[in-house]
Amino acid sequence: MSDNPKPSIAVLGGGPGGYAAAFLAADLGMKVTLIDPEVNPGGVCLYRGCIPSKALLHVAKVIDESHQAKNWGIEYSDPKIDLPRLRSWKEGVVKKLTGGLGQLSKARSVQYIQGQAAFENSTTLRVAKTGGAEESLSFDRIIIATGSRPAIIPSLKLNSARVMDSTGALDLSEVPRSLLVVGGGYIGLELGTVYAALGSKVSVVEMLAGLLPGADRDLVLPLHKRVEKIFDSILLNTTVSAMKEEASGIRVTFEGQEIKEREKVFDKVLVSVGRKPNSEIPGLDKTQVQVGPRGFIQVNKQLQTHDPAIYAIGDVVGEPMLAHKASHEGRTAVEAIAGHKVAFEPNAIPAVVFTDPEIAWCGLTETQAQKENRQIKVARFPWAASGRAVTLDRPEGMTKLIFDPETERVLGVGIVGVGCGELIAEGVLAVEMAATATDVALSIHPHPTLSETLMESAEVFFGTSTHVYRPKPR
Amino acid sequence: MTEFKLPELGENIDQGDLVRLMISPGASITEGQPVMELETDKAVVEVPSSVAGTVKEIRVKEGEKVKVGQVIFTVENGAGGKTKAAEAKAPAGKISDTPAQSVAQPKTESRSVERRAVAPQAAAIPATPGATEFRLPELGENIDQGDLVRLMISSGTKVSEGQPVMELETDKAVVEVPSSVSGVVKDVRVKEGQKVKVGQVIFTLEGGAAPQPERAKHAPVEHADGQHEARVAFQAAIRAEGKTEEQALPPDQPRPTAPMFAMPEQLGKVAGTEHREPVAAAPHVRRLARELGVDIHDVKGSGAGGRINEDDVKAHSKALLTSATAAAHAPGTYLEEPALPDFAKWGKIERVPIRGVRRKTAEHLRIAWNTVPHVTQQDKADITELEQLRARFAPKAEEAGGKMTVTAIALKVCASALKVFPQFNASIDMAKEEIIYKQYINIGVAVDTDRGLLVPVICEVDKKNIVELAAELTQLSKKARDKKLTPTEMEGGTFTITNLGGIGGTGFSPIVNHPEVAILGLSRSSMEPVWLSGKFEARRVLPLSLSYDHRLIDGADAARFLRWIAEAFEQPFLLSVQG
Repeated sequence: MSDNPKPSIAVLGGGPGGYAAAFLAADLGMKVTLIDPEVNPGGVCLYRGCIPSKALLHVAKVIDESHQAKNWGIEYSDPKIDLPRLRSWKEGVVKKLTGGLGQLSKARSVQYIQGQAAFENSTTLRVAKTGGAEESLSFDRIIIATGSRPAIIPSLKLNSARVMDSTGALDLSEVPRSLLVVGGGYIGLELGTVYAALGSKVSVVEMLAGLLPGADRDLVLPLHKRVEKIFDSILLNTTVSAMKEEASGIRVTFEGQEIKEREKVFDKVLVSVGRKPNSEIPGLDKTQVQVGPRGFIQVNKQLQTHDPAIYAIGDVVGEPMLAHKASHEGRTAVEAIAGHKVAFEPNAIPAVVFTDPEIAWCGLTETQAQKENRQIKVARFPWAASGRAVTLDRPEGMTKLIFDPETERVLGVGIVGVGCGELIAEGVLAVEMAATATDVALSIHPHPTLSETLMESAEVFFGTSTHVYRPKPR
Repeated sequence: MTEFKLPELGENIDQGDLVRLMISPGASITEGQPVMELETDKAVVEVPSSVAGTVKEIRVKEGEKVKVGQVIFTVENGAGGKTKAAEAKAPAGKISDTPAQSVAQPKTESRSVERRAVAPQAAAIPATPGATEFRLPELGENIDQGDLVRLMISSGTKVSEGQPVMELETDKAVVEVPSSVSGVVKDVRVKEGQKVKVGQVIFTLEGGAAPQPERAKHAPVEHADGQHEARVAFQAAIRAEGKTEEQALPPDQPRPTAPMFAMPEQLGKVAGTEHREPVAAAPHVRRLARELGVDIHDVKGSGAGGRINEDDVKAHSKALLTSATAAAHAPGTYLEEPALPDFAKWGKIERVPIRGVRRKTAEHLRIAWNTVPHVTQQDKADITELEQLRARFAPKAEEAGGKMTVTAIALKVCASALKVFPQFNASIDMAKEEIIYKQYINIGVAVDTDRGLLVPVICEVDKKNIVELAAELTQLSKKARDKKLTPTEMEGGTFTITNLGGIGGTGFSPIVNHPEVAILGLSRSSMEPVWLSGKFEARRVLPLSLSYDHRLIDGADAARFLRWIAEAFEQPFLLSVQG
C-alpha cells in the first residue's frame, strides 16, 4: 500500500481543509474521493461561516459609513433594509463560490460524493449518498476533515426559534428588536456588529473581564470603545444562569458582581461560546484513531493519526480553528502521504477578527510573551500619525511589532484598525522569513497606505520613525 | 524526606510502562525536571518531578508497570513544591477533562488556550531558588561518575551559567561539564584526578544566587582536542554502530520514540518537555532542512539576527554527512566483522559484556591495527655488562623509591635513541598530509593490571636520569595496579615500551600505540653463547622487537634505530656520550 506511488485517498469533509487537500492530492496524481453532505465543497466556512458573515459585515460597514458621512458633510437618509434581497445576495455569494469549487473539483477529476461516511475499518468507508444509495469504498489513505460545529451550553439549551447559534444568525430570518449575544469572542462580536448595523439593540455578555479573551488588550481597546457606541450594552464578568421563553421573548437571568439588571427579556439570543470538533464519526472506533479528552483527533506533525492509514486536519485536530490553518494542514497531510518530508510547523498562523475596526495578529503576542516570561521589545505606531487613516476618518488604529531584543527579529505582529486583516499578511511574511526590524524599516512601503504603519513601527523600534517623535531613551 | 508519587496522567489512565528512568540515587532534581518516560496506552509521556532535592532511593525499575499514586522515588532535603504540584505534575491530557460546558464558564475555547500555556511554564520554573553550590549534574544514562581530568576554575573564578567548568572522563567519553549556576567560586571541593559522582558538590559560590542546579540545560559538550583524538574516534565508532548513541544522550533530551508516530503536539506541549522556539528560517529553508533530514534547530544561521539560509542548511548537512562518513570509514569500523556462528550449538557458552578498559583497548587497538601498516624488526642486545651495572646501582634506585629494572634503563636508552632518530618520535596527519615531529619525549610503558592493559606515560624522559626514571616508573605502575591512575597520566605519549620479559618468550610483534609510530617490545633475556674475539662466550642477551609504522619509517631506518638501541644497551657509556 505504502509502496504505491499514487495512492487512492478519500477526504471526509469538503471544507477549506478538505477541498484544499483533495485538490492538491488530485494535482499530485492521486485518485481522490471527496465526501461531504453539501451539494458542493465549501464546508462551514463557505456555507455558514467566514464567507456569508463577511458579506454581511461588508453591508454593516456601508451602513455605518453612511451614518458617519454626516461628519464629512454628506447626509443620507436612514437606509431601507430589504431583508429578502440582502439574504439572496448573501446566498448568491455563497452559491457562486461553492459552485466554483464544484467546478474546480470536476476539472481535477475529483470524485465528489454528496453524503455521509462511516468507517468500516482503517481503509474502508461506508458511504450513504444523499440520493439514497449506500456503498462500501476502500482507499489507501483517508483524511478526516470533518471540522467543527457551534458549541452549546447544555443547561441553557432551549428549543426555541428565538435562540440561535451562528448558523441561525447567518440565516438572517429577521432583524430582532433586541438581541443578546452570549460570548464576547470573535463570532459573537462579528455577528453582533451585523445585527446592530441592521437596527437591532445588541447586548453582549462575556464571562471574562474583557472582550476577545486571549487577544492583546491594547488591540482590543479601540474595538471595545467603538462597539460600546454601537451596542446597547456590554456585560463583562457576567454569565447567563438561565433562559426561559416567554410570549414577548427570552427571559435571561444574569449572574455576576457587576450586573445592574438581574433579568432581561430579549427578542432573540445568539449563543456563540466557541466551537466543538466533529470527531464523533461513526465507526471511528474500528480504527486506531485516538481522540483526546477535548474531542480533538490526535495527530503528529505530519497530521497522521495513531492509525497509519488515517490523517486528520483542520478544526477536528485542534486550535486555532481557522480555515487557513486547515488548508495548510490539508496540503501538508497530502504531501506527507505523497512521501514528501513535510511537517506542519508554521511560525505564524494569522488571526483576524472582522469587526469594525478589525483586529489581526500573528506570531508571538505580548500576552503569550508575558506568560512565558520572555524578553521582548514592542514598537507601536498609532494610526493617528498615519495620513491614510486620517483620510479615512479612522485614526483609532494601532500597529505594533514584537521583536526579539537581541536579534531584532520580528517575532509577532498585532494590528487594530480598519481593514487591518489585509495588512497582517505582511506580518506573517516577516515572521516566517525571520525578518529583522531593519528589513521591515528598509522596505519601501507605498504612500499613503495603511501598510506604512508596519514600516514606521519598525522605525519606532530604532527611535527614528518619521511621523512619530519618540526618540530612544539615551 | 519527600516522596514522589506517580501523578495523575490523564483521563482513564491509571498506569503505564516505565520506559526510561532519567534519574539515579544521588541525582539532584528540580521541580519540573523530567524524571522518567512512561508509556501509557495513549502515548509515551515524560513525567516531570513535582519535588526537588537529592534522590535517595528509587523504588521502581525500567520495564515495570507503574500505577498512579505509586511511590517512584524518595528525596532528601526535599523542597517539595507541594502547593504547585497539583498543576505542575499533571502531564498529558489531564488539563482538558474539566467539564467543557458549564453555566459559569461558557468560554471554553479561550480558557483552554490559557490553560495549555500554563503547564509548560510551571514545569520550567525551578523550585529551588538561589543555589549556592554546583553539583555534578546527570551526564547520561548509566553514567554515575567520572574521572575529573581537568578543572577549569579555582577559588575566586567568576562563573556563569553554561560556562564549562571541568572536563570529566566517563567510560563513554570525555565531556566538558558546563556550570548551571552563576557567581564567584568560593570553595572547590574536588581535585583533578579524583573520581566525581553525580550529585557530588563540585564547588560552592560566594553568596551566589543562581537558578536551576542540575538540570543540564547545556548538554555536556564533547571535547575534541587533539589530546583526545583516539577517544573521539572511539565515540564516532560507537555512533556509527548506532548502538549506544541513545544511552549517550543527556537526560534532558527527549528520546525519540517510535519514528512512525511522534508524540502528538498536544501531549508534547502539556508534558512541558519540549518548547521549540520558532526558528529563524524562511519556510522554504525549513522545508529544505526537512528534506535533507537536518533538524533546523541544530543549524547555525549566518544571516542577520541568526537567520538561517539555504547555504547554512546545506553546509550543516554536509558537515553531518562528512562526520558520519568519517565515522563509517573510521579505522576500526570500516571492516564489518562477519556474523558469528551459534557457538552454543557445540557446547555451553557464557556471554560477558565487554566493558571499561577492555572495551577501550579493543577499540583502540583495532583502530591502531587497521590504520598502521605494521612491520616488526627483531634484534638482540648483549646486556652482560649492563646487568653488572644494574646490580651495582640497584640500591641507589631503591633508595629513591624505585626499582632498577631493564624497563627503566630501556626508557633512558629509547629517549636517547628518539633524539637521534626524530621520525620515531612523530605522528602522521594524513588529513593534512603532514608529519608532526614532537619536541618532547614522553614514553608510555605498558602495565599489566587485573583490569587489563594500561599505559601510563612518563614525561620528559630525556631530562631525567635513570634513578629518577626507575622511581617514577615504580610509582606509576603501582598507581595503575591500584586503579589510581588518572587519564592525564595516560596521555601525551610519543613512544611506547612493552616488556613481557618477566613472563617469558623470545620475541613478539607489539602493536604500535596509534597515533605514535613505533613501539619497542622487550622479551626475556637469557644466557646465550656469543661469538666474541674468536670464541663462544656465555653472555646475557636481551631480545628486542620494534614494531613501526611503515608509512613513515622505512625498514633501513628501523634497523638502524634498533641497532642503535641494542648498542646503547651493550655499551651504556654511549648513553652519556650520545644520549
